[in-house]
Amino acid sequence: MNHDLDIKKLRNHCYRQSKVPGEFMLQMRAPGGVIEARYLSLVQHIADTWGNGLFHLGMRQTLSIPGIKYEDIPAVNRYIKQYIQEIEVDLCGVDMEVTEEGYPAIGARNIMACIGNIHCIKANINTTALARKLERVIYPSPYHIKISVAGCPNDCAKGHFNDFGIIGLAKTEYDYDRCIGCKKCIEACAKHATGVLSMENGKIVKDTCCCVGCGECALVCPTGAWTRNPTKFYRVLIGGRTGKQTPRMGKLFLNWVTEEVVLRVIKNWEDFSAEVLEHKPVYLHGGHLIDRAGYNRFKEMILKGVQLNPEAMVAQRILWTETEYRSNFNVRPVNGVRAEG
Amino acid sequence: MGYSLSYGRMNEILKELQQNYRVYAPRRWAGRGRYSDTDLIRYGEIAAVEEVVHDEKSDFSPKEIIFPITQPLFYFTEDEYRESRVDDQGLLIFARPCDINGIRRLDTMFLKNGDSEDSYYRRLRDKARFVLMECGTGWDTCFCVSMGSNRTSDYSLAVRFLPDHLLVEVRDEAFKRYFSQEREVEFTPEFVTSNPRTVRLPEIDSSGLLRKVYDLEMWKEYNSRCQSCGACTAACITCSCFTTSDLIYNENARVGERRRVWASCLHEDFTAMAGGLGFRATPGERLRFRTLHKVYDYKARFKEEQMCVGCGRCDDRCPEFISFATIINRLSDEVERLKKEASQEVAGQ
Ligand code: SF4
Ligand code: SF4
Ligand code: SF4
Ligand code: SF4
Ligand code: SF4
Repeated sequence: MNHDLDIKKLRNHCYRQSKVPGEFMLQMRAPGGVIEARYLSLVQHIADTWGNGLFHLGMRQTLSIPGIKYEDIPAVNRYIKQYIQEIEVDLCGVDMEVTEEGYPAIGARNIMACIGNIHCIKANINTTALARKLERVIYPSPYHIKISVAGCPNDCAKGHFNDFGIIGLAKTEYDYDRCIGCKKCIEACAKHATGVLSMENGKIVKDTCCCVGCGECALVCPTGAWTRNPTKFYRVLIGGRTGKQTPRMGKLFLNWVTEEVVLRVIKNWEDFSAEVLEHKPVYLHGGHLIDRAGYNRFKEMILKGVQLNPEAMVAQRILWTETEYRSNFNVRPVNGVRAEG
Repeated sequence: MGYSLSYGRMNEILKELQQNYRVYAPRRWAGRGRYSDTDLIRYGEIAAVEEVVHDEKSDFSPKEIIFPITQPLFYFTEDEYRESRVDDQGLLIFARPCDINGIRRLDTMFLKNGDSEDSYYRRLRDKARFVLMECGTGWDTCFCVSMGSNRTSDYSLAVRFLPDHLLVEVRDEAFKRYFSQEREVEFTPEFVTSNPRTVRLPEIDSSGLLRKVYDLEMWKEYNSRCQSCGACTAACITCSCFTTSDLIYNENARVGERRRVWASCLHEDFTAMAGGLGFRATPGERLRFRTLHKVYDYKARFKEEQMCVGCGRCDDRCPEFISFATIINRLSDEVERLKKEASQEVAGQ
């Protein structure tokens, strides 16, 4: 094989280096993790024709095809042109030119999402639709960003471990006259959420401070006394990450914001990254960028030009808690003596 | 007498009617359904006939108009009280045959059950008139034909919604004057004559059999399935249970109101009494109570008809997919089996 391969360039086209010399794994985007099932035959064709016959359900919901030989990459790129056109441009409305060079960038990673309200009974939003709208905002930016969208605060999408975790909220509204005082909502809120409901004179009162917007009260209410406000609201978490040095869970940045706010905030990410990275789109988790800039500067830049809706809440400060693998001061050897390294 | 009229004309008549009536119909509350991006269809006052959701079954029945979910009965101070008032506007309610038949069951429960009438029910019920809505082919959970409640003649007006006009039958003389300008046509409403769902009613004809029915294994299965949420009873046109309580406005004074609020026999505390005693401890027992009330007790007591009208809303609303129609059929099979066993025992003796 040709041992002179530009690994970085290939990675930017979404081909990941294999331990087998000259082999690569193609990661095809599927924003929000939902595509028409017919595309699977295309995946199979690539895997059987150019790959090693295997298919990996990518950790970020990419369609990943390992074992593609370096010399076959041009053929694969020609073959996926139509897929890129149909998913990125036709479906998501991404503003990009589709060429025979394959994917133009890997910086903005595939947007993950749980199945959301196209299926899930707990969901408060259409995660697929939002992921596609976000794809239009972030792709094909060379700046790294990891977003995950969850349909409800259960966060099956693990938004807590992404640069941005976006969680759908239900603002439930109470109709005093429809309530029969059965306490089902109180029980549901205490069991699934934060226990902010209580009974007063046979009716329900809510401590709005800590309602997490899960919608369980509306799900359980037998009379429709609790219903969802049809406007969708969102929580935005920031700075979550995995990694070898300092993995940490994301923290609450915005609460009860509208979709418009979410889209505008994400749009500002590129400018923020460019400033922090001095216009060099290198791979660094979003959390590190926020750390470098400081939360206040991050907040200022990311909310630039954003018209917050009246219900919106913004974090005044962030108290990060990370697992710090460099110092390891919380772990001690079992026998009290550190083994010689 | 039938009339054909445009939606525009019907809305003008609606305006006239609203001088004397509050007009209620199943309406769409967009995005307020149980699940995200689903709608809630329930009764509310309408401003135009286009608002009437006539091609879907409503989630809730019209009973809440004459039997409000929360109803103040009277207000009291330490030494006197005043009854709550209702205005003198009539109530004109768009309803389906099963619901109109269901309201006859409510009449029985509130007006013919024991010595005295329930005056708080009576004062709203007397004001109610119905606009019958046709059901087309009905819906997959309906079993009104099995319950004999697919037809009714107890309505003032009947309406068929066509894409660009309406057909209206005026049955009640009092409503004739509103339609005097309209084009006369032949129109009488059609009723569904078959449902996809057929229900066989149990024939429980002895107290010995009833006791065996109480102990059937089938009820236990629902202990793990039924969540005791009460959604089935809230949706039911014929459930009439309520609790009465006093609301004291100020902890330091004896001023307040007595009100009644719907109750559900599926809820754990329905039979709760002082001292923590309750009759029906498990969901299965509560579901058994409800089943027998709907397809046995009521008829045993009032003779003419079963309580359940087969509207199927309990099946539509149950988040656990417990089908009441299936329960009735299972019960009927069990009753047949018990009868057969009993007759074999007799024969074998
Ligand atoms: S996060 Fe919520 S909406 Fe999404 S799959 Fe989990 S429970 Fe359903
Ligand atoms: S579940 Fe609904 S009806 Fe029951 S207490 Fe809560 S709000 Fe009232
Ligand atoms: S939406 Fe709020 S009030 Fe309702 S169950 Fe969830 S946390 Fe409780
Ligand atoms: S028991 Fe079910 S089918 Fe029968 S009247 Fe009530 S809601 Fe309708
Ligand atoms: S709606 Fe279903 S789960 Fe809820 S109480 Fe009725 S039967 Fe049980």
